[in-house]
Amino acid sequence: MRKLTLGVSAIALAGCLHVGAMPVGPVPPLGALLDPVHGVWGIASTADLPSDQTLSLEGFSGDVEVKYDDRSVPHIFATTEADAARALGWVHARDRLFQMEMIQRAVAGTLTELLGKRALAIDQNARRLMLAQAADAKWNAVPDTAAVKQVITAYMEGVNAYVAGMRPQDLPLEYRLLNAKPRTFEPRDTYYLLVRMSQTLSYQEEELAHDALRELVGAAAADALMPIESPIQEPIEPVAGRTQARFTGAAIPAPVLPTPAQVSEARRTLDAAQQLARATAMPMSAVDPMNLTLTELMGRGEAVVGSNNWAVSPSRSANGHAMLSGDPHLELTLPSIWYEAHLVVPGVMDVYGVSFPLSPIIPIGFNRDVAWTMTNTGNDVVDFYREQVDDTLSPKKYLVDGAWRDVTVREEIFKDLRGRVIQRDTMYSTHRGPLMQTSAGWLSQRWTAREISDEGNVFRMGMSAQSSPDFYERTATFRTPAQNMLTADRQGNIGIRSTGRYPIRPNGGRGDRIQDGTLSANDWSGDQPLMWYPQAYNPTQGYLASANQQPVDPQARNQYAGANWPSPWRAMRINHILRDNAQMTVDDMRKMHTDPKSELTPFVMAAIASAAESAKTAGVWTADDSVAYSLLTAWDSEFVPDSRGAVLFTMVTTQIGTLLWDELILPGETRRVVTPQQAVLVSLLRENASVWWDLRSTADSVETRDEIVLLGMRKGWALARSLEGNDPATWRWGKIRMTNINHILRLPGFGRDSLEVRSGPGTLSPSDNGGTHGASWRFVVELAPEIRAWGTYPGGQSGNPVSRRYDDRIDLWQAGELAELRVPGTAADLSVEHTTARLVFTGKGGAR
Amino acid sequence: MGRLVWFLTLVIAVALGTYAFGWAAPAVLGAAWAAVRRDDAFVPAMAALAGVFGWGALLGVASLAGPVARVADVVGAAMQVGAGPLLALTLAFPALLTASGAGVVRGVAGR
Repeated sequence: MRKLTLGVSAIALAGCLHVGAMPVGPVPPLGALLDPVHGVWGIASTADLPSDQTLSLEGFSGDVEVKYDDRSVPHIFATTEADAARALGWVHARDRLFQMEMIQRAVAGTLTELLGKRALAIDQNARRLMLAQAADAKWNAVPDTAAVKQVITAYMEGVNAYVAGMRPQDLPLEYRLLNAKPRTFEPRDTYYLLVRMSQTLSYQEEELAHDALRELVGAAAADALMPIESPIQEPIEPVAGRTQARFTGAAIPAPVLPTPAQVSEARRTLDAAQQLARATAMPMSAVDPMNLTLTELMGRGEAVVGSNNWAVSPSRSANGHAMLSGDPHLELTLPSIWYEAHLVVPGVMDVYGVSFPLSPIIPIGFNRDVAWTMTNTGNDVVDFYREQVDDTLSPKKYLVDGAWRDVTVREEIFKDLRGRVIQRDTMYSTHRGPLMQTSAGWLSQRWTAREISDEGNVFRMGMSAQSSPDFYERTATFRTPAQNMLTADRQGNIGIRSTGRYPIRPNGGRGDRIQDGTLSANDWSGDQPLMWYPQAYNPTQGYLASANQQPVDPQARNQYAGANWPSPWRAMRINHILRDNAQMTVDDMRKMHTDPKSELTPFVMAAIASAAESAKTAGVWTADDSVAYSLLTAWDSEFVPDSRGAVLFTMVTTQIGTLLWDELILPGETRRVVTPQQAVLVSLLRENASVWWDLRSTADSVETRDEIVLLGMRKGWALARSLEGNDPATWRWGKIRMTNINHILRLPGFGRDSLEVRSGPGTLSPSDNGGTHGASWRFVVELAPEIRAWGTYPGGQSGNPVSRRYDDRIDLWQAGELAELRVPGTAADLSVEHTTARLVFTGKGGAR
Repeated sequence: MGRLVWFLTLVIAVALGTYAFGWAAPAVLGAAWAAVRRDDAFVPAMAALAGVFGWGALLGVASLAGPVARVADVVGAAMQVGAGPLLALTLAFPALLTASGAGVVRGVAGR
């Protein structure tokens, strides 16, 4: 009995100590995790901010007071810019430490050192794209004496001071689950963040898809399906006198029937495009790119990305002041990409807005004089070159102008959390950039994001602008990611400029084709000058707007900035609303964020009405058709959660597209080479007899638009009933299009799923099937003598999932409401009733 | 001292020991308690119970400082076990540590 007791007890004790001290598979050491004092339960005590705290930290030149308002926004009052940055670094780290490390590691390609093999594909892609080299080069190019370098250095000192002073309970939950500890941050990490944003916003690769399309349907048709001129023009740069969007009326040439050799080439090229997409995909959340769908991987799509901004001049606002609205869309994650903050340094800056954790910059926001916001330009800043190499398996040389040049070969080593090597890859580059192998050969890539530029300083300079013109002067050297920078100021000025690097190319300036890498003449030869940039300032129409659309109408100025532009539905909707309302209010601006209408709808509905008339005339109209048609015509065209018509409309539209684009499916496969933008579909809706409407599967008949639209309606009706039930009364749009805000590690229970929102195809808040993208920050600023502003984002200020501040803004965001932002001029201006926590950094020196 | 007092002493020792020395302290305290209470037939069971109460008390203190239930929800979801099982595991773990620590000493000491 004694031996049995001893044996059992010893085994139990050894087992407990083992699982207590060592990880078992994905489970972290249980002792440290479950310990109620030092373990995971301890984070309960960090859910709320300490109400009053004073810290003595090295580096502060004077006292800094941080007051958190009732929305957990820190208002930082400092006497120097460096002190403000140092304090912001500390508060960022307290709220978002794990996220900051994830951002840096995603660019460095070292996520495996935190997450293990599951992050290998993302790390490989980051290293393949040479993101870290780009960030390092940009940082190294900033002179040591530059003010921005000193500010960023101070910021990282604040971050590291927080890390150094953390108590056991301060360790973020994610580190505990991963059995990891935070790294020491470096000033250059801010430039890693900036490169990450360039990657998210400016990276695109459609050249190979275009090539595949050309093989399948012929060059003329391919050019029309992925046009450099959007078929509907509602440009950012207003056209004087225009009161509605312009249809270019460009015909879409008939597809050429491909030969077997062309089909084979199209297949090979599409394979290459997909290989390239997988080799370069880098989602914001730590998702294995191999698990992304091809739709997610390739092309920017219609609905996934959809930032908006607009401003009205005093002449078109009810209150007589300029107003600005920002609505940048990104992948939605918890914690949010944004962190709201207010920095006050008397006589130097007083800036409020959203910052990126890992940087002391407020890229979108306002000060006492001017407000600014951005949308993505989507201009073409990535080019591919087909290289001739000496060895197709392991190239050492590549040919340029008849002479061999050395390929730069490097070995990339990937390690896990314990420092064990888990993968070694050989990667290649040319003078243009990464050299990658695809089934279409070796391609090298040039991209503006890898060129030397200093967005850190440009953003910093913009924060202190005193007017709209001053803002544009300060941001003139901004390079990447090119942004439609919209401003409004207290003098009543409004302006917009698509600011960024636009490469000058040979061959007519187009970059939507694979270039011949053997000729140096095909390289970029410089940058377009500032005056070339799409821009407008105080237009006579009294308002400005951008929504990622083609920025300049080629009729006004014909200049290549990109191809295959997103359909301008959002731009049309914004312009429509602003044209119709010459007395805009703040509330009108707010309501636009979740406006439920899409400019796509009338075009499709008109085609459906025409198809119905034709079917009735031909005597093929059925009772079922009547039911479906009634549901559509009774619909108020609003994409709201309880809509039934939106369900059917979307399924019908999808079916029309599927039937229309049958020529784009590879013979014998289900893969569609590309899906043209909806604006191209709408162009074809105006042509009843276009050969594109004919189904290739029905060799003995020639279908018209009306027939295909009718068939699409029938298929959509059948699909809706099979998916949503036979009784349309039970259908709900909110059931099939929802927003999902995932944790950056996609940890179960850490995200907010299935949020019903007002969004649909082409609405200002567009949606996609995954529901993972959306409005990342919405705000409205009224540029009155005393500036007022409202805003919110889908998340919360804290990165601690057990804090109510983790996701406390989501309900407001979901409802389309905004909170009034508090903008105290001094610490004393923030009243006690609106103050939830206070933090003071003293400048006395000494370690904490 | 009566058994209840000894038991409460161990509960307090487990709580304080964990606070001061970390998660492995209950094993040492269980062993020490068994050495002191060699004549008590219920040492392992009492030690296990003391482990439960000791960490339970610490969880109670933690709940005064923040949303412990929310921690259970979130971490339970992340570990895909649920809040209840996570809480049960948190209480079972010190019970096993104290009981096995006590059991080893009891086995070595001959009772």
